[in-house]
Parts: sequence; structure tokens; C-alpha cells
Amino acid sequence: MRKNIAGCLVVLCMGALVAGGCAKKDLVKPEETAPSVTAPAPETAKPAQEARPQTKAPVTEPTPVREPVVAQEPTREASKAPAGDLQGQLQKIYFNFDSSDLSEDSRNILTRNAEYLSRQASVKIRIEGNCDERGSDDYNMALGERRAKAAKDYLVNLGIASERIATISYGEEKPVDAGHDEAAWAKNRRDEFVVVK
Amino acid sequence: MMRILLLLLLLVLGPQGFAAESYLDVTAPTSGKMKLAIAPTTALSGTLPAEAARELPELFGFDLGIAGPFEISPAAEGSALLLKSAYGVQGDTAIIECRLVDQVLNREVVAKRYSGRLKDLRRMGHAFSDEVLRVLTGSKGPFTGKIAYVSKISGNKEIFIMDYDGRNPQRLTNNGSINLYPDFAPSGKELIYTSYKKGNPDLYRRELFTGQEARVSSRSGLNAMGVFSPDGNKIALVLSKDGNSEIYQIGRDGKELARLTNNHAIDVSPAWSPDGARIAFVSDRLGKPQLFVMDANGGNVKRLTSNGAYNVTPRWSPKGDRIVYARKEGGFQIYAINPDGSGNTQLTSVGSNEHPRYSPDGRFIVFSSTRDGGEGLYLMRADGSGQTRISPDRALNTHPTWSVNW
Repeated sequence: MRKNIAGCLVVLCMGALVAGGCAKKDLVKPEETAPSVTAPAPETAKPAQEARPQTKAPVTEPTPVREPVVAQEPTREASKAPAGDLQGQLQKIYFNFDSSDLSEDSRNILTRNAEYLSRQASVKIRIEGNCDERGSDDYNMALGERRAKAAKDYLVNLGIASERIATISYGEEKPVDAGHDEAAWAKNRRDEFVVVK
Repeated sequence: MMRILLLLLLLVLGPQGFAAESYLDVTAPTSGKMKLAIAPTTALSGTLPAEAARELPELFGFDLGIAGPFEISPAAEGSALLLKSAYGVQGDTAIIECRLVDQVLNREVVAKRYSGRLKDLRRMGHAFSDEVLRVLTGSKGPFTGKIAYVSKISGNKEIFIMDYDGRNPQRLTNNGSINLYPDFAPSGKELIYTSYKKGNPDLYRRELFTGQEARVSSRSGLNAMGVFSPDGNKIALVLSKDGNSEIYQIGRDGKELARLTNNHAIDVSPAWSPDGARIAFVSDRLGKPQLFVMDANGGNVKRLTSNGAYNVTPRWSPKGDRIVYARKEGGFQIYAINPDGSGNTQLTSVGSNEHPRYSPDGRFIVFSSTRDGGEGLYLMRADGSGQTRISPDRALNTHPTWSVNW
């Protein structure tokens, strides 16, 4: 820094020569084209040019959770419809890390799920694909989709009508176990089968 | 040293001489820092409220300290630059006058007066910080931009917006479901995001100043990771309506314009180049998630990363010269790479770091990190220096994205 100051002094002299040594008066220049520095606008009025940093606050939604969210959300838990015990019969399946391959266990479970579904031909289900927290959440959103699709394809191959099965991915957004260990992750890498109608 | 010589010469030449010229190398902020001192705020008239006296110098110190080219000095003496501020109130209006003085030449570099609502004091201060960078580097600061992010402070993921330094958090969504992937329009006045509020992960576009909202894409399956094109007319996003996740372009109204990828692999996380000609994205078409670059019409696909087993979430720098991304190696670390695949550089190493995005001026990268427990918001300079926590609270906060100046 000492060197810098010395250099600055040299330049200062050069500057003095170039600029004729005139240090400018300490004068505030209002922002260009500022129309009304002396007359501040009332609070509600549009800000004058010099008040450029003043902006409208973004519209915030009302704080109380009054939105009929629950009504909008797809029926998560089984409706009281005749499919009540079907929801209890449909089993989850689980996956390995970064995989949508169906294990032998998973295929057995899917076969049983297909049997239950074939007994109630009017019932529709939604397969919800989920991931553990370790991957990229962008990528996991697609991986959850692929897990749901893998189960759907298997059920369709077993004769369940494709129109009866919707799929959705929650990526890593709906863990059943909030833990951060392999036991929790293994539980979270899953497909759930939800009766919707 | 050369930089300071050059700076002083340019100052002598007057405003015309330096307004457009960039003579501080902001990409190499650790070398040749200029000493900048911040004087205590004075009163324009009457007495000075204690809060204003404290707030402005702190704000200038934070803004210009994180900026890179300056070493914030506690003493005016021996500092090349001195920032002075004065504060006054007229009724409901706050007025600040700010000056940056070159103490070597005893010359005023820039002076501004701002007036606004009392609660906009910080905004006015950030505006002057933006101006200081414009005058000294030729490129305006990004400090009056906003950062949108996803927060779980209410128990579920909602979209929030805050000042770049973590102050003034405001909630944008309040629907109790899952809200993800905020992205500002280039104007900064609109935001798109994905929400499960009607069951399916659909894409919404919200006007920030009116609160008006449209559901832009509600196709079956994913409508996710939407990003505005640089001209604001198009949105690249991930749809899974055709069987698995693919990248598409849609209009602002949601109309499908083009399908850009077409294979059985996962294709996610589109990111526009600043000229709108190319799109970086993530695909596991070769087995594991890796970065690719394609033309904006889907042609000419090239693999970008060849190192690391799991590379995700690319974002292009505003100048187009770098692509920042996250690599999974246990946890995640943030890297940046040239668009031709050269110059790969690791930027973070502490904790797990994800969701990197450049500030609109390219000086900074915002990201989320677990380094202090939980997942919070941080920023760093584009070279990885100056890593600083900006989270407004201790809740889980992720997916920061920085708007142009409001």
C-alpha cells in the first residue's frame, strides 16, 4: 500500500498538470433529469426520477392459510368410497439409489396389486414416485416420474387398463422419513399407490 | 499498481472519459484492492436517527466489500476512496445524499441524492452502491435486484423474495402445497414457478407488482424447471406428457413451440445461453446425469462434462463465457466450466453446495449450502471468493435466483 500511495502521489501530480489542479467543488448533482429535488412527492405518488430506488412492494398473498388447499389437492388418503379396503391392500414398492429398476420383491408386490385392482375394475389409482434426498432435486423430479412410470407399465402389462392409472412425481419433496441415513433413504425411494376414485 | 494509475488518470479525464470504460478488473478481485473508507452518516438537518446512522455505513460496507475491488478500511486517512452519506427526513420521505470522493485527487467521483419512503432507506443505499460500481468499473452493481427462493419456513415449500443481502423477506405464495423452481423474467417483473397447488406439478407465471397469476402449463405430468429465454418471449421447461421427462420450448402463454429432446433418458434442467442460441441441460442418456449443450432448436447436442459421475443444474453466466453447475461427490460442490468444456474450476469445498446461479451482472453466484447446518442461501464472487451467508433465517432455503435491478 505504501508503494501505492507513492504512486498515487506521482499520478496526483500528473493529474494536477492535466486538469489544471482544480479539485471540483463538493457539489451534489441530483440524478440526471431530476425534476423535483426540492418538492418530495407525497408517499403515495409515483416516485420522482431521483427516487428511482423506490419501487412498489410485490403483492404478498394474505397470510392466513385460507386458500382451500385441501380441497384442491387430489384426494391423498383413500376416499370413503367402496374402494376403502383396496387402499389398505395396495402395497408400496421400493428402489435402489438412482434406479427405477423393479426388484423381484417389487414385481411380486405389483403382481398382487394388479390382482386387487382387477377385482375392482371401476377404481382408478395414482402412482406417486418418490426419491431420497441425496440426488439433485431437479434430476430426482424426473427420476420419481420414471419410478412411477415403471410401476404403471408393469401393471398395464399385467392387464390393468392404462386409463385407470395416473402417475405423478414428488421427486424428493415428500419423504416419509425425515432422517438422513440409509434406513430413511431406503424408505423414501418408493412408489405409493393411491386410490383416487 | 497499474490499475490505480489508470484509475486516477481516468478520473482526471472526467466523467465522459470513464463512464463506459471498465478499468477495474472485477474478475480478479483479490489482486490490487483499493482502500475505501466509509464515513459516518451525517444529518442533512436536525438530528440523525440512530438506526440510519448505523444502517447506511453497514450497508455500504457490505455491498462494496462483497463487490471485490475494494478493501473496506476503517480509517479515512490513507484510503484512496471515501464514501460519505447524509440522511434527512421530510414528513414521510427519507432523503439521502451520497458522495464518493477520490481522496488522492481531492475530487468527487460521483454524488447522488435519493428520496423515498422511510422503509426504502436500504433500497436507496443499495442504489448508490450500484452507482459506485458503475462509475468505477463501467458495470452497474446488482444490489437493487431481488432474490427469489424456495423457503420451508412455514412448514412446506413456498416461494419468497428478498433483498440480495437477505433483508426484507416477503412471501409470494401461500398455498400450503409444494412450490419450486422460481425464475425471474428478464424484466424482473414476472416470476414463473412450479406448484402442486392444484395437484399436478404445473407451471405458473405471476406478475409481481399486481399479483396477477396465470397457469401457463398444466400438461399431464411434470411442468417443471421453467426458465425464461433471454428475450423473455419463450420458456424452456421439462414436460413429461409424452412418457418421460423431455425439454420443450413453450410461449409465455403456454403454447408448445418445440420439443428439444427426444429419448428414453432423463432430460432436465434447461439453461439458456445469454444470446438465446443454445441451451445447456442435464441428461442421463450415457448412464449417469451429465451436462450437455444443444442448439436452442434441439440440434447439435454435445456433452459438456467428462469428469465426475454426477453433474447437474447448469446455469450460463450473463456474458456467456462460463457455465456454473453442481457436481455430486458425496455431497455437492459447485464448479464452473467454459462452454467448450475447458477451464473446469471448483468453486466451493465446505458443506454441500447446490443450485448455483449468476447475478444479472455476472459478478456473483448465489447458491444454497449446508455448511452451517440446514440448507441456507449464500453468495460468492464468480471466482469463488468472498463466500457469504445471506439467508434471512434458519429455515431451509434453496433455489435462489437474482433479478435485474428493480
